[in-house]
Order: sequence, then structure tokens, then C-alpha cells
Amino acid sequence: MNPVLLALLNIYLKGVLVYFLLLNAVYMLFVVMSAFGILRHNRWTRYIHTREIFSSPLSKPISIIVPAFNEESGIVESIRSLLALEYPQYEIIVVNDGSTDTTLSQVVKTFGLKPVRRIYRKALKCKLIRGIYASSEYPQLVLVDKVNGGKSDALNAGLNISRYPLFCAIDGDSLLDRDSLLRVVRPFLEDPDRVVAAGGVIRLSNGIVIRPGQTTKLRLPRNSLARFQILEYLRAFLGSRMAMSMLRSMILVSGAFGIFRKDIAIACGGYKLNAIGEDLDLVVRIRRYCYRKKISHRVVFVPDPICWTQGPERWRVLARQRGRWHRGLIQTFHFYGRMAFNPRYGLVGIFAFPFHLVFELLGPIIEILGYFTFVLFIFWNKVNYPFVFLFFMVSIVLGTLLSISSIFLEELSSKRYPRFRDIFILGAYSVLENLYYRPFLSLVRAKAFLDYFRGRNVWGEMEKKGFRKT
Amino acid sequence: MKLYSSLVLVFFLVLVAITLGLFLTLIVRRAIVQYRERKFAARYRKIEGELLKLLGEPGVDGALALADRHAKFPHVLTDVLVNYSRSLWGGEQAKLFAIFNRALRSRFRADLSSRRIVRRLRAARLIGFFVDHSDATVIKDLLQGSPIVRLAAANAIAQSPSTEAVPIIFRAFETDDVENAHAYKNVLFSLKTRAENGIREALKKPLDQKKIEILIEIVGSIPIIALAEDVAAFAEHQDKEVRLRVARALGRLRRPDMLPVLLRLARDKAWEVVAQAVKSLGRLGSPEALDILTQALFSQQWYVRYNAREGLLNMGESGIARLDQVARQNRDRDAADMAAMGLVDAEFKEGS
Repeated sequence: MNPVLLALLNIYLKGVLVYFLLLNAVYMLFVVMSAFGILRHNRWTRYIHTREIFSSPLSKPISIIVPAFNEESGIVESIRSLLALEYPQYEIIVVNDGSTDTTLSQVVKTFGLKPVRRIYRKALKCKLIRGIYASSEYPQLVLVDKVNGGKSDALNAGLNISRYPLFCAIDGDSLLDRDSLLRVVRPFLEDPDRVVAAGGVIRLSNGIVIRPGQTTKLRLPRNSLARFQILEYLRAFLGSRMAMSMLRSMILVSGAFGIFRKDIAIACGGYKLNAIGEDLDLVVRIRRYCYRKKISHRVVFVPDPICWTQGPERWRVLARQRGRWHRGLIQTFHFYGRMAFNPRYGLVGIFAFPFHLVFELLGPIIEILGYFTFVLFIFWNKVNYPFVFLFFMVSIVLGTLLSISSIFLEELSSKRYPRFRDIFILGAYSVLENLYYRPFLSLVRAKAFLDYFRGRNVWGEMEKKGFRKT
Repeated sequence: MKLYSSLVLVFFLVLVAITLGLFLTLIVRRAIVQYRERKFAARYRKIEGELLKLLGEPGVDGALALADRHAKFPHVLTDVLVNYSRSLWGGEQAKLFAIFNRALRSRFRADLSSRRIVRRLRAARLIGFFVDHSDATVIKDLLQGSPIVRLAAANAIAQSPSTEAVPIIFRAFETDDVENAHAYKNVLFSLKTRAENGIREALKKPLDQKKIEILIEIVGSIPIIALAEDVAAFAEHQDKEVRLRVARALGRLRRPDMLPVLLRLARDKAWEVVAQAVKSLGRLGSPEALDILTQALFSQQWYVRYNAREGLLNMGESGIARLDQVARQNRDRDAADMAAMGLVDAEFKEGS
């Protein structure tokens, strides 16, 4: 055994320990900040009712763009939920991106749509539009049928067809709460000149029960993988994103539910066709554009509008989804890495990019290399087992503490699981996830590097189950 | 290494204690919140029930007694008052005033000038219904506060039925920083025709351009037909943003005598103004605008063509005949497409 190599590996392992403590400390700080942010938001919004926004004659109309590729299981419910939204003026543009299932026929039949010739401005490039459908019964609904070109292409087609100054991109398998638009649009009313994008909370719809178009019962799903993801989403949205918004460092507005100023999005070239994470890519480009043009701007996270979306219930599908998300992050750093540590890009350059680089992008690599080094130490019989056991226990408790803090944030937010039983179940899963769910995700994300540099950037099939109905 | 292990062990034990403590807090908090929500709802129902019994009774004695009984629950009482002040009028609303003055007025005053934003917000919610002339300066301060307070105050003042609210609002609007001006849009709009004199006077003053734009916009949005001439006076303004708003406002006012102004704006050098003027001409529905709308279908700007199409569709049979003519010509394909799609839309609407 080479003593130099051993010393180096020893230093590396100590570095991993420090990194691990720093990572958890930062996330705990985020949780504390988010708690204050959510409490402040709750107090403020208590006195500003959504109906005041609804009755305001100066609320900007919104185009909701729903790209749909093989979404037959959930698209009709999703459109119903959108038709039931409370908002003074909006249009729903469903873009059928060359689906090979019954998505198109289901939507046409259910809503009695007929082909129309609608004029539009081709401000952004997109694949051939085969037809546009509308209905006199649902005048705010437009269905666009186009040749398959991917999600970004479908969103660009929707942007071309849209008529209103704000647009909201949501996934075809998602469901919005009735007042979500009114809530998410609030920053645009408060600060119309500076807010360029706003995002709400994404939560898992697995297990919830819906009546036509709206959630009625909030229940935990039976599937354990979905339960792990619930905790993860709570951590990500209520824990991290809220804090990033407070630090004015948001670089991601989730593609499942985000609202943007159309003029700025078009000025940036719309959605990039080869972007793996089109949502992240768009927000980063918007921010880069604003900084370069010296436009004072804000990207805001609002903690109470909720979009319900289906999470995978099989490990293989989850691995595919998370691999894609991480490849999207890698690509963003590949394309826009120069923004990191660059004061020209304000807080995004000096904080958001370095933070994502160190803790999000490289995290899985550092973690997996740590495991690998540890195995080598076992092989060389150089392990202090009591210390390692203690450290392992510390890592489990720290992970559990973070998750329980996120459940606490959920308690503070507007929508929570109503039963005491659900809190206990989530509490148990907070412990369990550290044993195999999180290491699994680290492995998947580390593998994403290999896939990205090998050029494997396909989306892959997602499994859709639809919503449970009353 | 022993020292390290001991440190980690202590750290571990502390973390376990924090985690368990947090989980326990979570459970206890949930129980307390649910209990409070139940109590709040019960108190709300009780006050609501008593208030409903008071309706129709003469005098405010019952209301004052209600205020005394529930003064210890200002949050619940505030919620009831705000919710019912939207739907009660005249003598019944006087009862709400009596309750407010007896149980909440002093608290409201203190909240209005409080340093805490939450308290100012809470007070702002009540301004609209219980505004008093003596509160004018504090209200102006609220409109200069942070965006959320401005929005709350603006929304609240906008709903005030008081005549005293109008001069307060205009004085605040004219003297406030231009950056805050947009916070007044809702306020001015909600004054409806009560805003007429205020806007007429304000348009004569040398206000900042942004404020002029807001006032013109509001004239069209309400709409205040009597102010058409005052708005038309800005049709020659050097800034296209102002001319654009004049075109939009005149379209909303639909005064036939404003046709020459709109025809002039439809020949403006800025296409944005032309696009808006064309749309407004369509709203006016005057046959004299047919030629200029047809001509606008051949514009190089998509928005001008689109608005011309909308304008012609608004003009009924004669407009549709013009669309038909343009759809059949071959010299400009963009214009033909726009006209053809207008015809499809017309058929679609007719079919439905």
C-alpha cells in the first residue's frame, strides 16, 4: 500500500466530512430562512385576499401553455382543472406534441373541439403545426396539434399561438389548485416592472383524490417511493427554493408550474430546443439577458400556489427522471458556466451558480467517491469502526432533521396533510430515506455525468397513472 | 481519535435531541393550531349569528353591545366586519361602523402607524370601509410603503364609499413619487365616475408623464365619456406611450366625435400607436373607418394587421365584406391570410 496514496485518500475523506457538515449546515440555514419567509408570507397574504386580485381590472391576462406528449391518462383532468381556475382573463393552449396515443382524440372529443384557422405570429421557431382546434363551449381553450419536436418545441409553438403578456407553462399531467394563478401572479401586480418570472410549489399528486378538476382529499400515497419523493419535494420547494428566492438567487422556476413575462422570454429566444432541462435553461437565460441589458429584475418563489404532479412509482422510472434532471444541470453549467463567480451577473454569478456547482452539481460525485474511498479503507483494514458507525448515525440524524424540518415548513404553509397519522408516516420515512433512497439518488446523479458526456440525452418514457377520482 | 469520537457522539446526541424536539413541537403545534382554528371558527359563527340577528333592528345599541361582548377577539371581529362590509349598505353598515368605532378604532389607529408591517397591513384592510379624514396623512404614508402595503392600502381605499376619500386619493397621487404611481391604478379605477373632476383637474397640471399615462388609461377603463376632449388633447404628445394610451382610451369611450382624432392616430409614425388606433376605430364601428382599417390589413406589422382584422370583424357585415375582398386578392399574402382567418373566426362565432 502506497503511504502517499493513503495519506491523500485520508485527506480526501476528511474533506468529504467537512463538505458533508457544510452541506447540511447550509441546508439547515435555508430551512430556518424559509420558515421566516413562509411565516412572513402567511401574515402578509392573510390580509390580501385573492378575490381582490381577481377583481382588479388591471390584472394581466395569462396564457397557460400545456405541452402534451402521450398524456392520455391525465390530460383531460388536467384541462378540467385549468378550466375551473379562478382568474379574470386567461387562455389555455394545449400543445399536442405529435402524441402517438389517444391524447389528441380524447381532448377533441371531450371538449367538442373543431378545427379553426387561427392566426399567429411565428416569433419562435417550431415544428410544423398541423392544426388548431377550438370550441365555442370553452372559448378560452385552444388545442394545437403539431409534429413531434420535444417539450421545448411544443412550448415555443404555444408561445407563438399565445395572445397574452404573461404565460404560464405547466405539465400535461399536472393539476393546479383553483386559486393558484391568482396567488402566483401576485408578485407581477406588486412589482410589475421588475418581476420577470415567478414559480409556485410543486407537490406530488400520488394519493390525492380529485373531483372534476380539483383536489378534494389530501392523502399520502401507499407507494413508498412516492412517499420518499413527497419529502424530497417538500425539502426542495419549501426548504431550498424559498430561501434562494429570499436571497434573490433563484435560477430555477419549475417547468411543471411557472409564470413568465412573454416579451422577455421571446427576447431571450424562447425555450432552447436542445436543452435537457428547458425550465432551468430558460430562467438562466432570462437572468443573463437582464443582467447584460442592465434590466432591474426579480425571479420570485411564492410558497402558497400549488401545482400537483404525478411522481414515478418505480425505481427505474425515477432513475430516468432524476438522471435527466441532473443532466440538465450539467448542461446548464456546460452552456453558461462562465456566469459562475462573475460579478457582472450579480447574486446569480457570485452566489447561485457557485452554490449549485458545489452542492448540487458536484455533490453526488464527491459523495460516491467518498463511498469508494471508504471501501478501499475497509479493504486495507484502516477503518476506525466505532468512529465510522457514529458518523453514519450522525449523517442519518442530520438527514432526518432536514426532512422533519421540511414537514414543519409544510405545517407552516397553507396546504398540509390533515391527519396526524400522515405526520407519523412521513416522520418514519424521514429516517428510512437516508438508508437507501438518498444514496440511490446520488448514484443516479453521478451516473448522469457519464451519460451526459457519452451524449445520452434522451428523455425516456415516463409512466403515467392518472388521478384518483371521487 | 478518541477525542473526535467523543465529539461526534456529543454532536450525535444533540442532533437526536433537536430532531425529536422538533418532531414533538410539530405534533403539539398541529394540535394547538387545530384547536385555535376551531375556536376561531366557533367565535366567528357566534359573532356572525349575533350580527345577523341585529340586521333590521332600529338603532345601533345592539351593535355596541355586540362590540363590547367581543372586543377581546379583535382578529375575529375584524374578519367579520371586513367580510360583511362588502355586502351591507345604509343603516346596516352604520352598525358595522358602530362596532368598529367601539371595539377596534383605537387599535386600528395604532396599527396604521405601527412600525410592524403586519400591523400596517391589517389596518390597511380596514381603511376602505372605515376611512376617516383625520387618517389621510397616515393613508398617504401607507401608499408610500413597501409594495405589499401599497397594494393592500390601494385595494382598501378603492372600496371606500366615502366622499372624503376622493380628494385624499388625488392629493396623494399627485404628490407621491412617480415610482409609486402604479399603486394608485386600482384606487382611481374603483372611484368610477367620482374620479371625473379629480382627473380633469389633474390632467391640466404639469404632472410626470407616467402619471398622465395612468390618468388617461383610467379614463378609458372606467370609462368617463365626458373626459374625451381632455384625453384627446394629448393626441399630439411627443411620447408614443402617451399617444398609444390616448388611442386606447378613445376607443373605449366610443364617442363618434372622436373619429377624426383616431383617424389621425391611425396614421401615426409609431406602429404601436397605429395598431391601437386601428383597434379603437373598430370599436367605434363608424363606416368612415372602413378604408383605413382595410389599408391597415396590408401593414408590415403583424399587430397592426391583427388589430385591423379585429376592427373589421367588430364592424359587422360591411367589415366582413372588406375582409372577403382582401382574402381574395393575391398581391399581399400576409394580408390575405389575416383576412381569411378573420372570416373563419366570423363563421365560427356565427356557428356557435
